[in-house]
This record gives sequence, structure tokens and C-alpha cells, in this order.
Amino acid sequence: MIRKDNIDTDMIFHNKYLTITKIEEMGKYAFGNLQGYEDFPQKCKEGDIIITGKNFGAGSSRQQAVDCFKALKVGAIVAQSFGAIYFRNAVNAGLPVVISDIIEKGINDGEVIEIDFLKGEIKRENGEVISAKEWSDVQKEIYLKGGLLG
Amino acid sequence: MSYTFAQKILMKKANLNDVKVNQIVIVKPDNLLTHDNTSAIIGKIEEDLKKYGLVSEKMPIIAIDHTVPAVDEKTATGHKKIREFVKTYGIKNFYDVGVGVCHQLVVENGFAKPGKLILGSDSHTCMYGALNCFSTGIDRTEAACLLLTGETWLKVPSTIKIILKNKLPEYTTGKDLVLKIIGDIGADGANYKAVEYDGDVKNVSIDDRFTICNMGIEMGAKIAVFPFDDVTRDYFKKINVSGDFEPVWSDTDADYEKVLTYDLTQIEPMVAKPHTVDNTAKVKEVEGKEINQALLGTCTNGRLVDFHLALKILKGKKIAKNVRLLLLPASKKVLEDGLKDGTFEKLIESGGTLLPPGCGPCLGAHQGLLAEGEVCISSSNRNFKGRMGNKNAEVFLASPLTVAASSLKGVITDPREVM
Repeated sequence: MIRKDNIDTDMIFHNKYLTITKIEEMGKYAFGNLQGYEDFPQKCKEGDIIITGKNFGAGSSRQQAVDCFKALKVGAIVAQSFGAIYFRNAVNAGLPVVISDIIEKGINDGEVIEIDFLKGEIKRENGEVISAKEWSDVQKEIYLKGGLLG
Repeated sequence: MSYTFAQKILMKKANLNDVKVNQIVIVKPDNLLTHDNTSAIIGKIEEDLKKYGLVSEKMPIIAIDHTVPAVDEKTATGHKKIREFVKTYGIKNFYDVGVGVCHQLVVENGFAKPGKLILGSDSHTCMYGALNCFSTGIDRTEAACLLLTGETWLKVPSTIKIILKNKLPEYTTGKDLVLKIIGDIGADGANYKAVEYDGDVKNVSIDDRFTICNMGIEMGAKIAVFPFDDVTRDYFKKINVSGDFEPVWSDTDADYEKVLTYDLTQIEPMVAKPHTVDNTAKVKEVEGKEINQALLGTCTNGRLVDFHLALKILKGKKIAKNVRLLLLPASKKVLEDGLKDGTFEKLIESGGTLLPPGCGPCLGAHQGLLAEGEVCISSSNRNFKGRMGNKNAEVFLASPLTVAASSLKGVITDPREVM
């Protein structure tokens, strides 16, 4: 859980490492420029879900800011809103991005949640169901193929 | 039915008789722009390219501009891969190292025209709205697919209309105006929305329009667009582009999400303080802040008129001793014109360092990065933390006039004080 708005693409993936083009190498630099979260790549486990605030991924169209999370096998990113290019980027790259206010629903770090991407529903451990913005048909289709290149 | 600019263009490009806001349409863009990231894009589809070929050799526009000339072996290898790709597939529109920043090349070479749809794998592709074009930034996966199929999906955005009244005061520019607007709307205030400028736009020069539209993405906008008028017509005449233009504009009774009005006479020199573009203030409020570097140029404010503005302040004078002034023309054309009319000679005499046309320091790639604790005032478009090198450096965004005035004094300075 990252209680912060406007996390930009420079915070997610610093320009120092922009020459990296292999996805596998990108993971270790995820959030490398986000104060307090520099150790995210070490702590992140496969399937972990990032929950955050508004305008996540603001700024540039840099692909590394999406691919670094794919490299770490992040399960999904749930934000109150996304930068428009970032959102498209994630959809086309097959990284699940979900729009929901879940960060304001008293959820705890480390809690296990279940996201039904096709229905737009998030289920908490205590059975509470929180709604998310439903994906468009195009988005569903792209995900089911594993990305635009799938 | 009445429609906005965005609806009309997407309707035309999707071959539909009606489109609603939030509807997803499949479109074929007129052009796809990619830059140094072309090597990574084609890396995704090498096998498919061999099997299916390129959709068109005329549709892609490729410019090597971000890290030019190559800074290391890895960059050089990426550039080489792009040149080989261009050769193998016979790509018509290719601009190698030294010709300029991709966005400036698109508007200088007549690719961006009224009513066209251009997508680019760079977020500042929204600049061509200045020429009544629907242009927006996309990602690399999508760019890769466009090279193969020529089509993609777009969501029809809702629209914010910004009505401009009167005329900007002297020593105030389009940059000050757009910083003021971004400060008001917020970095995400126009997320996935179109921003239309209307009203007394005849008083806004084409160069100011480029700057204003270039910064559209800094409020999250999908597109930022001006109507086609005599200002646009004169620009096309100047770059020798003729033909039948097909301008598009919103119906007078089109549906807007929000309408904002700005009285241009009230705009003052503005800055964006570190580390977000919407963290704006009047130059007056930050005056006296010591700077180490001043960056004048980039695709936002690196056209000849921007260097002329700087020269108004710096001509015959020397910049402060503690300041490095970097001159970064947006293109070779700008560089040539500024060499011919003596602008660059005079700016160099004042203490400027001339860099080759390209992006370099603007995104922290090379040539003029900042050390810990250093402060830069820049005419570029982003001031994110760590954008120009060290994470603990500070970048203030401002107009070319404010950048020049600050380099003269060594501290952030309102240009009206030194005129």
C-alpha cells in the first residue's frame, strides 16, 4: 500500500536506467526513485498487489515503468486513478490495472484480497466486496490474450 | 447531433456516423512517431516483422533524438539497430542524429496537419494540437502493433474548453499561461480528457500554441488543441506546406465537461517549483533563489523565437559567474536560422554553451545533468524529482525570458525587472 498521489514515471523507473531494454533486468529498479520504497523489489513477492492513490504513473510513456512490475510478477495495481498513457500502456502490455477507491476502505498492508477483473470486484478476507471500475470489452479482450502482442 | 473536435476526428477516422464520450473506437492513424525507443519497439516484434512485414513504409516517422550523439556503446547499438531497420524496410521518414527533436520535426516537415490523427510513443506528441491535429502519446507495445497492423483502439475523451480573453502582457509568454492553467487544473485534472483552446486565440502566436499544447500532458490531457485560423495558415505558408486543409472544430453547442475562462491580461511570469509541474507560483514568489544551471531550449521552448526572447535580455551582457547556461535548439533548422541571424553567436558571447539539437539534459539522458543539491531553471516541460540527474537536485520550469533573466542575475528573476 502506497499512500501517495501523483507517483510519476520518474519515481517508478529513474532515467538513469533507461537504456535497459530486457524486461528481466528492469525489476530491480522498480520504485528506485520513490522515497521510502527503494527496497520494494527485494520485498515484492510474485502476485503481490500494489494499492495506491490518484494519478499513478503520471508523466512519460516510458515502457520500463510498466515492465518493471511485470518483471517482478506483480499481480495487479489498484489505484484511485492512473495517468492516461500509463493506463493504456499497462493494458496493452498485459499488466492488470484496476481503478478503485480501495485505499480509502481501511485495508491493511499484507491483507489477502481477490480481484475479479472481468466483473470489476475486489473481495476482502472478511468477505466485504468493494467495487472497481469495470474493464471495457477491448481491455478484457487484450488481457485474455496476455497483452496486445499476445 | 453536435460534437466536439475529438468526437469529430475519431468519428471520421473510425468510419462511424456517431461516437459517444467513453466509447472505444478502432482507428488507423495517419502517422506513427517513434524515437530512440524504436529499437526496443522493434525488439518486441522481430519474428512478426519477418513473417508479416511492415504495414506501410510511409506511415512511420522515426527520429533519433533522445540521446544524441550516442553517449555510450549501448546507445550506439540501439541507434545502429534503428538505422538497419529503416534500411531493411525502406522507411521513408527517418531523421538521424543531429536533425532535431521528433516533435519539432513533425511540425517543421508538414506531417502535422489540420484534421489528422498522429500517435507517437512519446508523451509530448500532444504538441501538434497547435496545428489542429489530433495527436497523443501511446506506449511501446501499441507502437509495435501499429507497425504491424496500422490500427489501434482509442477511447473517445470528454472535453474541457478553455476560453482565452484579450492578449498576454509584454514579457509574458504562452509558457506562463500554460503553467498557470496546469497549476489551476492540477497534474491529473485533465486525465484522459481533450483540452480545447478557444476565444481570442488570434492573439496567441503559433510558437506559443506549440508550447501550450506540448504541456497538455502535464495536466494529463489526451490532446490539447487549437482551432485552424489565419495564424495556422500563415505557419503552413512559412514552412511551404500547401494543399487543401481539412480543419475540424467543435460545434458551438457541443457538450463540454467544463468550461474555463482566462483573462490573458492577468497572467504574470510563472514557474513550476520542484517536483511537480502543477506546483506553480508567480516568479515574484520565488525570486532570489540561487541557481546553478539554466536550460534554454527543448521541444517545449527551443524554437528561434525563444532564443530571440532570451537575446532581448542577454544581448551585450554576461551571465552570472555561478551559472551554466545551456542552449538546446529543438532542431537543426532552428540552429541554422539562429546561426545565420547571429542569435547563437551573441548568446555564446553572453556565456551560453551550445548543445546539438536533441533532448539530452531535459530528460536527464546526458549533457548537462545536475549534481546533488544543484538548482536548474529550465524552459522544458517536466521537473519531476530526479528528472535531470541527481534525485536531490531541483528543477524550476519557466519561460525563456525568465530563464534568461535568471541566468543573468544568478538567481531566479522576473524578466520584467531586467528589461
